[in-house]
Amino acid sequence: MKAWEELISSSFYEATARQRAHGLVDAGTFNELGGPNKRLKSPHLPELGEAVSFDDGVVTGVGRIGARPVFVISQEGRFIGGAVGEVGGAKTTAIFQMALRLHDKIAKKYPEDASLRAPAIIYSFETGGVRLHEANAGLLAHAEQMELIQECRGKVPVISLIGSKVGCFGGMGFVSISTDVVVMSELGRIGLTGPEVIEQEMGKKEFDSSDRALIYRTTGGKHKTIMRDCSFLVDDTIGAFRDQVKTLLNMPYEQLKKYRSIGSLKLVQEQLSLVALAAVLQPKDSTDVWAHFGNDNPEGIPDMELEEFCRKAKLRHREVE
Amino acid sequence: MALHEISFLIEPQEGYESIPVDWAHNGVVGSGDMELLMQKTDSAAVQVNIVTPVAGYDAIWEKVLRKFVAEARLGGVSIEINDNNSTPYVVATRLKQGLLEAKAGERE
Amino acid sequence: MDYQVILNGETYNVAIEEIDAHEEPIKAAAPMPQATAPAIGRSAEHIRQKPGKWNILHQDRVQRMQAAARLVQAGKIVDADNTVALIETIIKPGDKVNVEGNNQKQADFLSECLSLVDPSKIHDLHIVQSSIALKEHLDIFEKGIAKKLDFSFSGPQADRLARFIHEGKVELGSIHTYMELFGRYFIDLTPRVALVAAYQADKNGNLYTGFNTEDTPVIVEATRFKQGIVVAQVNEIVDELPRVDIPGDWVDFVVQSPRLFYVEPLFTRDPALISDAQVLRAMMAIKGIYAEYGIQRVNHGIGFDTAAIELLLPTYGEELGLKGKICTHFALNPHPTLIPAIESGWVSSIHCFGGELGMEEYIQNRPDIFFTGPDGTLRSNRAYGQMAGHYALDMFIGGTLQIDRFGNSSTATMDRISGFGGAPNMGTDAGGRRHASNAWLKCGDEYGMKAQLTGDMPRGKKLVVQLQETFREKMAPGIVDRLDAWDLAKKAGLPLPPVMIYGDDLTHLVTEEGIAYLHRCADIEERTAAIQAVAGYTDVGLEANESKTRELRQRGLVRTPEDLKIDTSRANRSMLAARSVRDLVRWSGGLYHPPARFKNW
Repeated sequence: MKAWEELISSSFYEATARQRAHGLVDAGTFNELGGPNKRLKSPHLPELGEAVSFDDGVVTGVGRIGARPVFVISQEGRFIGGAVGEVGGAKTTAIFQMALRLHDKIAKKYPEDASLRAPAIIYSFETGGVRLHEANAGLLAHAEQMELIQECRGKVPVISLIGSKVGCFGGMGFVSISTDVVVMSELGRIGLTGPEVIEQEMGKKEFDSSDRALIYRTTGGKHKTIMRDCSFLVDDTIGAFRDQVKTLLNMPYEQLKKYRSIGSLKLVQEQLSLVALAAVLQPKDSTDVWAHFGNDNPEGIPDMELEEFCRKAKLRHREVE
Repeated sequence: MALHEISFLIEPQEGYESIPVDWAHNGVVGSGDMELLMQKTDSAAVQVNIVTPVAGYDAIWEKVLRKFVAEARLGGVSIEINDNNSTPYVVATRLKQGLLEAKAGERE
Repeated sequence: MDYQVILNGETYNVAIEEIDAHEEPIKAAAPMPQATAPAIGRSAEHIRQKPGKWNILHQDRVQRMQAAARLVQAGKIVDADNTVALIETIIKPGDKVNVEGNNQKQADFLSECLSLVDPSKIHDLHIVQSSIALKEHLDIFEKGIAKKLDFSFSGPQADRLARFIHEGKVELGSIHTYMELFGRYFIDLTPRVALVAAYQADKNGNLYTGFNTEDTPVIVEATRFKQGIVVAQVNEIVDELPRVDIPGDWVDFVVQSPRLFYVEPLFTRDPALISDAQVLRAMMAIKGIYAEYGIQRVNHGIGFDTAAIELLLPTYGEELGLKGKICTHFALNPHPTLIPAIESGWVSSIHCFGGELGMEEYIQNRPDIFFTGPDGTLRSNRAYGQMAGHYALDMFIGGTLQIDRFGNSSTATMDRISGFGGAPNMGTDAGGRRHASNAWLKCGDEYGMKAQLTGDMPRGKKLVVQLQETFREKMAPGIVDRLDAWDLAKKAGLPLPPVMIYGDDLTHLVTEEGIAYLHRCADIEERTAAIQAVAGYTDVGLEANESKTRELRQRGLVRTPEDLKIDTSRANRSMLAARSVRDLVRWSGGLYHPPARFKNW
């Protein structure tokens, strides 16, 4: 493992799950739970002749940011595309449950300022969704996490971090959007159906999966920011993600929860109005949507550096603030 | 279609050393890559266990591991590897990195 | 009976009875009654010259031009819809035909049209062209339009080509290097008809090939100056060209293609895909070869290993104090990965074989470095680039698929005939070279077999370096006992195994294990021992004799990273001056515009 100082200046996109986990929390505070020495391997993969991993592709543990305990879930895209299987899924849900239990303890002990002492969960997504080799268990893990995210409401802030190579696709696309806040780098991607699958089902004319610029225009960090699915777009370093998390953890919970995309009738109505807009606008490309939201040079947006983008880009107006 | 498992013992050289921590881990089981877990043991011999989807290279695995153990003068340790199609160069590199990590690292 | 014919401003005297029968009387630009008049008769090449008759080829050309006149609109322009008819008119069975294309640009529309001709009219063609890259290039063999093939490079169609040869659909002439094939265009493989590609034309047939000039000049010159016919597909027809790359009187017909000609961005390497092992080999090459010999004039083969070298110049190279001492002059396609080195002031000059998509504006803004025209855009030229690479460089460095125990290397596998392209001309010691340079002299001075061959006469030697992984993905060995090329030769009936670089040309082999300085070896046994010493855990490497390896290391014939004092723990991606395509764009100040498939933003 690189020294912590080196980690925070490293590329988030290129970092392994374990490097992200260590770098996101304060130096030397990450304590891996269910780590490789516990040998929590998938029992299903060997049957299929597929390589296994001692952590089943997800690094879980707890560290600190300032005074607050921060639980970390960090998916490893290099291992079977970060796909969620039974063991990795169980490790993840366990983290949610531990965070909730710790919250209740703290709330009891410090009823006045529980919200600034309570644990948070940061979830660094790098996944194509469910692991097809153990799909039932993987899907179940998706459902459990959705439910646990709801249980965390008002108690434990859950923050999604998306900026790794594989992006965040499949059912995990839903999971990430259901959290309180989504933080991305422009290299991050969120989507449901992966580009290759869209091309396979709908043809190259509908979606050319070899056109990476197109993929980024439709799923990348800048697009998700304009659409307000992502609330904070940061530089591609572990340190930049960490700084954003720190800022968020210093916010009162009431402010934090304003970044949610779903979770109330109003928010659902807002999402539905976007579906209606798509039907009216009939966009041929994301640039049409960007133009609709007031960007007069949408073609120039992909090439903008982060600072310029944050200064100039016009984002969708949110009905619910 | 089960995974292929390779196990062997390597007798250590005179004056061998174990790792300074209870266990150390390195690498990711990506395509063409592997992870290894080294753990302190009571016996002097190095117990090696490899799990890989590829069969037919047992002799090369053993050569790479024996060379590493001899050069590092390693003993009193077990080495467990989860592999996914690593080349011998990758294996040798991860082993060296894992040892460096173990020597530098302080774990719980 | 003589006819005087004026066509495209040229006056022809035609003795009509000498021409192989064509029913229609020749009238200048008279429209033909039928939509598609068949080209009847045989290729003029089959007509034996008779003493006293010295212009049969010319007359044949005139006859074909006449037959095609009905298809011509203004000047030399033929409507795209009439292209198949044009080809059926100007090509005759048995003709040698060149369809322009290489590993970069393709006259793809003309190629498609050629594949749509009626095989009962046009058949048994002898295709003489650089590359077999498009599906249509082989479809014409399947349909019987073409029969024989002389080429240089196949790449994407390599497996289908091997199958066609095996099934007898393709009668293979020879597999060439680019330079050899270009040479034969002027000797015994002169195209009767050439179908070429350009960006722009005017109505007089002047062509702007610009950035991707590549093979066009050599093809057009060989064809047109031996009374052949040249057809150009162009992306647009304009009143005024940025500059004239091919003069209009060398071009007979211009077709505005319904789509832009295809260009493969073959030389774009995404820095994000460079591995730590590649960084290590690159560090070894820079320290153990570039610095050791002071290599200034060099060609880099395609690949991530050489991309790693390019991206280490501003970091590791700088650290070793090598700026200005190495890598000042290149014969090289405009590799985007060279941008950081150029921007850091390492490079004085680059001559390009071809263009590279996205590098247009960058090159235009660096005219001191690249060869650009009066209009400011790059002019590439494959023939000159190959010549420069053969004679004017001190080193070629590249990678391959397999190297045997003698140092022979090949990219051929049992089921693929991929051809040679340009690498053998780069990766060979030019026997005709007479000028000296320090690097060349040092390498020649070290040559262990020199005394046996040229006595005490001083002579230099070009460095030919292969960067090779001992094992590629899925444990495919890079160093083998016997090349797959042997089996391919047997299966496809080739006269000899297709070898990219022969062992006697190879001077250095770089693997993760070390560098073998092969030219320093005294004989073939020692060369094999040096190769074994760096062959790792391959079957070849396992035969290495430990004490012999030790001796070779002591004598400097083999050097490991340790011998080179390279800290292998530093050999990782953080050494690269750019780690993504976006970084390259940043280095270029926004002047590099990568194709969409390389943009992850």
